[in-house]
Amino acid sequence: MNNPIGSLPAEFENTHEGVKILGFWVFLATDVMLFASLFAVYVVYRSRVALGPTPAQIFALGPVLAETLILLTSSFTVSLSLYAARQSRLKSAIGWLVVTLLLGASFVSLEIREFVKDVLAGHTWHQSAFLSGFFTLVGTHGSHVTFGIGWAVLLTLELVLRGLTVANRRKLFTFALYWHFLDIVWIFLFSVVYLAGVMT
Amino acid sequence: MQEKKHEDPTLPGESVEIPLLAPHLSTPHFPARQIAGYVASLILTGIAFFLVARHALPLSWLLAVVLILAFLQAAIQLGVFMHLREGRGTTWHLPIIGLGLFVGLGIVGFSIWIMLFKSGVS
Repeated sequence: MNNPIGSLPAEFENTHEGVKILGFWVFLATDVMLFASLFAVYVVYRSRVALGPTPAQIFALGPVLAETLILLTSSFTVSLSLYAARQSRLKSAIGWLVVTLLLGASFVSLEIREFVKDVLAGHTWHQSAFLSGFFTLVGTHGSHVTFGIGWAVLLTLELVLRGLTVANRRKLFTFALYWHFLDIVWIFLFSVVYLAGVMT
Repeated sequence: MQEKKHEDPTLPGESVEIPLLAPHLSTPHFPARQIAGYVASLILTGIAFFLVARHALPLSWLLAVVLILAFLQAAIQLGVFMHLREGRGTTWHLPIIGLGLFVGLGIVGFSIWIMLFKSGVS
């Protein structure tokens, strides 16, 4: 169970856990294709604004930059959690994981605030093809992050109750993969949806 | 900073079948890679945001540069944070995730390409 520095991380030392990690990569590959489809739909319908607002009229870059910095930081803190786990420092691993899920929660709350503001102004996803594509794409990412927060809460409980067992190390590793993957998706959302949206 | 490299983290019967897919593992004593990756991603985000906020380039160049910066950041996340080369034996997740990216880029790329034809749909 101990992982002295210089040996194979425990999640790979156990063959069964290694297979589960491979399975998680397969899931990530399917998720890549899901988001690619939604990106394709968004890019194709971006200029179809009907009577609704254009991207430049509806996007506020300030909150979006804050969301980006929060998510980048959370990606960093989850990597520190995994790093601590591999050195068998349980408290440090739990601490960074809790920081990660708090940052994730603040990201989601900023995004919900943005969506509520749009909907209250009458800009729902019924209004135009652009808004349909926008809410589907960004909402799918946001629901992934929300699911990730629930996962992180359960993982924190397991770490507190059972400590750094081999199974928990593997779960922390796959959670870190999931979280970094969502960060990559957000980088493209930030660039393709928001930054490209305000370019005129 | 001392780093211990694992040359061949395999058991009998788990040999690396394809040299290109050999795993790379290291356990440094200080999370220098993580910190460097974080700082790099902050800098790249800052550059992209600054260029767009200042309209520092012509439109098509701006779009191209922002996209290149995004792909650079994705590569950092994959390589630095996602421990892309870690595994035991042959790292079979590399062709899997590569195939996912191939199909994904194909979907997006060809959707954009087909819309560039000025027929009724674009």
